[in-house]
Amino acid sequence: MSDAVLGIYKYVDLVADAADDLISAGHEVEVIFPIPVGHGIDHILPKKKNPIKYFTLFGGLSGLIFGTLFVLLTATLYPLPRGGRPLFPLSPTFIASYEFTILFGVLMTFAGFLIMMYIKRTKRDIDLPELSIDSFGLLVENLGSHALADVEKTLKDCGAVEVRRL
Amino acid sequence: MAHRSMNSKISYKEVNEDVLSLITRSGPKYYILLVLVASLAIGLFFLPWVYQIYVGQGVSGLNVPNVWGIYLVNFVFWVGIAHAGTLISAMLYITKTPWRRSIARGAESMTLFALIIVTTFIFIHMGRPWNLYWPFPYPNQRGIWTSFQSPVMFDVIAISTYFTSSAVFLYFGMIPDFAALRHTATGWRKKLYTAMALGWRGTDKEWHFHAKASMFFAAFIMPLVVSVHTIVSWDFALSVVPGYSKTVFAPYFVTGALLSGFSGVILMVTLLRGAVPFVKKYITIDHFDKIGLFIIVLSLIWSYLTSMEIFTGIYADTPLEWASIKHKIFESPYFELFSLMIVCNTLVPLLMIIRKIRRTPAYMFIACIFIIIGMWLERYLIVPNALSRKFLPFMWHDYSPTWVEASITAGALFFFITMFLIYIKIAPVISIYEIKEDIGLPMKREHK
Repeated sequence: MSDAVLGIYKYVDLVADAADDLISAGHEVEVIFPIPVGHGIDHILPKKKNPIKYFTLFGGLSGLIFGTLFVLLTATLYPLPRGGRPLFPLSPTFIASYEFTILFGVLMTFAGFLIMMYIKRTKRDIDLPELSIDSFGLLVENLGSHALADVEKTLKDCGAVEVRRL
Repeated sequence: MAHRSMNSKISYKEVNEDVLSLITRSGPKYYILLVLVASLAIGLFFLPWVYQIYVGQGVSGLNVPNVWGIYLVNFVFWVGIAHAGTLISAMLYITKTPWRRSIARGAESMTLFALIIVTTFIFIHMGRPWNLYWPFPYPNQRGIWTSFQSPVMFDVIAISTYFTSSAVFLYFGMIPDFAALRHTATGWRKKLYTAMALGWRGTDKEWHFHAKASMFFAAFIMPLVVSVHTIVSWDFALSVVPGYSKTVFAPYFVTGALLSGFSGVILMVTLLRGAVPFVKKYITIDHFDKIGLFIIVLSLIWSYLTSMEIFTGIYADTPLEWASIKHKIFESPYFELFSLMIVCNTLVPLLMIIRKIRRTPAYMFIACIFIIIGMWLERYLIVPNALSRKFLPFMWHDYSPTWVEASITAGALFFFITMFLIYIKIAPVISIYEIKEDIGLPMKREHK
């Protein structure tokens, strides 16, 4: 038996109205958009954290350490003595650590994005073509049979062009 | 002041349809062009390279002291072309400049393909591309270890980082578009886009993380862009060769790279507008106008740095420096090339002060061809020119590129265009969701 409802809208302000009503009634909602809506609805939805920054920081720091050690340790293991040049050079160490900071930072940011995208993600099939073109979806999950009807009514009252049970 | 959208009269659905049709609908003209350009790439670029590998590096005009020739001119030139793409995207993303949205994706892809050319020219210059693994530091029995004190090794690290980061940046921006296209595409494209979308569904949480990660990417990419061309300039500036050893080279190269890169973007968008009429809806005259303003500023900075390079050399008045400058500016044929460079990079961009020129794609196209030629000449006047007047006069020897080098140089352009023509039939060259952002959010209450 279905315990979730998806409302499909054509206008962002109607989605915002519906989300506002449902959140006020104590429901958790998930919105699905073809574009980043941002300020159009952010004030209504619960404030989201940004854990990606920790991945970025970890990537940047590990790149910095790797780049530094990469040059210095290899100079220790495979010394290339050259007249008038230090065995442990400052400028090349700085350049390698700078570049690896960026490289590892970028890669870890991407990894962080993928991890965060998949964590606590609904397993329901909300991958509808219209939601990637010009429609806006509002998903409410974990509903009892009584609440299901109420949520459906709220979604319709707020101007949903279609309401689906999932 | 609120930004007025450049695309406010276009519907969301129209954007999806247009981008999909750009990918899937290919008439005979496209295939004829692709075969023609690919043939030229093979004939002018790959076959002469194979010939050079087979016969040896002697078929090039390289000699002592001119051990760095036109291949490294091309290397520096294409690094420059690669610069604008990612920088336009990253810099304008951070500053939240709305007009970037239509051109950013195309510019980012330019970066990636230009970097492929850059890497190829390293192999061509190496002469023995099968020894590619030599610069990679790993324990081996050859007794060879890479010296991190060499600016060439800086290059290996910087360009690898730039290539990887640019590829991630380009792909990351395309994930929502792949997700949008997978519903309407058919056949192998549907499978490809489904895989490339990585399960994207467009939830608010996904968009939130996408925006945050994009900001981090942009923040990483901007210093990376500057560092890459700085490091490329250090291939020359960290040496002791007169004509190379200049402290001004890092900002000079970065500015030149941006100037050629922005010009490359104008050429790309003009050709795209000409080939696919509906692209004019998304890439408008306003884009030419704004990029034109960037070009004027960059040209002025470039001209200032060029004059500083010359004046400080003259002021130093050492015999070595003076011989290098005299050769570059006053001796034929370099006098003519130098004059042409100034016309192309200083005088022609000044014409863009006239608004009508900035807002006429044909004029901008012609002007940017001049700038591209001028920027290539700038690198030519630095790379082999300085080496040919290296220290003692008995070492002096002029450099002339051979037909093999000339052919590979011209062929690189066709190789680049071939990659771009294939790319536009696989991936969205115009960002779907960013164009929609430009259109604005549909609001019921505003329509009442």
